[in-house]
Amino acid sequence: MMIPTLTTERLTLRAPRLSDFDAIAAFRASDRARFVGGPATKSNSWGYLAALVGHWDLRGYGRWIITETGNDATALGITGPFYPYDWPEPEIAWTLFDAAEGRGIAFEAATAARNYAYATLGWTTAASFVHPDNTRSLALAKRMGCRPDGVHQHAEYGPLHIWRHPAPQEVAA
Amino acid sequence: MTPRLVDIPALETERLRFRAPQASDFAVLEPFARSDRARYIGGGAEKDKRHAWNILTVLAGHWHLRGYGTFVAELKSTGQPIGSMGPWHPITWPERELGWTIWDASVEGTGLAHEAMLCLRRHAYQDLGWQTAVSYIDPANARSIALAKRLGCTLDSDALRNHPDNLVFRHPSPAEVLA
Repeated sequence: MMIPTLTTERLTLRAPRLSDFDAIAAFRASDRARFVGGPATKSNSWGYLAALVGHWDLRGYGRWIITETGNDATALGITGPFYPYDWPEPEIAWTLFDAAEGRGIAFEAATAARNYAYATLGWTTAASFVHPDNTRSLALAKRMGCRPDGVHQHAEYGPLHIWRHPAPQEVAA
Repeated sequence: MTPRLVDIPALETERLRFRAPQASDFAVLEPFARSDRARYIGGGAEKDKRHAWNILTVLAGHWHLRGYGTFVAELKSTGQPIGSMGPWHPITWPERELGWTIWDASVEGTGLAHEAMLCLRRHAYQDLGWQTAVSYIDPANARSIALAKRLGCTLDSDALRNHPDNLVFRHPSPAEVLA
């Protein structure tokens, strides 16, 4: 089995590659990564990239690199079902690099990821964990129809607000 | 079910079988990574489960990014995983490494790591076409230094290091090993 590729109206979600390292390391070295454990060193970002792929192996699902269809060499962000060991439940995660902001790309990609989790993985519910100061992520969670559903205290990231996605039947309706 | 995303070569020695890292390895890796025996590779008693989980995902992911990677060795007799070992190359490291980590302290002193590394070094040279290989070792890690010497490695003081404190042991060349 290979990591599946998803396509949306404008986007192709594909497996992470070694050549994504520069884009990922640049994002994680920047202030934009402050809500997700950054800023991080290159060495740390190597581990992040390897773990991104390794998650597919260990869980049978994982996160994709977001690209624009026709330009799959340029990584715009990361999205997909994500379930690290210390998460209270699996989540739909998203990360957008700054060059891709303001065009609805994260919404389009995360919606495809949620559809995959419901339709292909058979999830009956889905959450996303968002740092309360991460206003852009918060806005996306709301745009996706999520409702607040408690707080998870994370050892490293601090309080993560749990946003509950609409149920599979609501999304499909 | 865990999908297999890359083809892992089937390698084995007299006592060991090598396979890809898998989720069930966490049960053996986790106590090791959170023990004092892991102090030379960034582990230790103060580490949490997250640290151990991260190691396992990185071990698995390396295979996909590089097309080769570090195996988990298990005892043929019992199926018990004893450690991770083999080719390793984080993008930030100066060159490719042959690494070894024995998770299960009870197999120390049995020569299993030596047996494994002879096979995996041959794999790196013969199957992957490596022309040279190093092992990066903490200067206080006497067991690993002893194994490096037993494998015929020599200290390479001129080589770039993956970490300022580590020693670089260079393995005998393919010509010497495959002769």
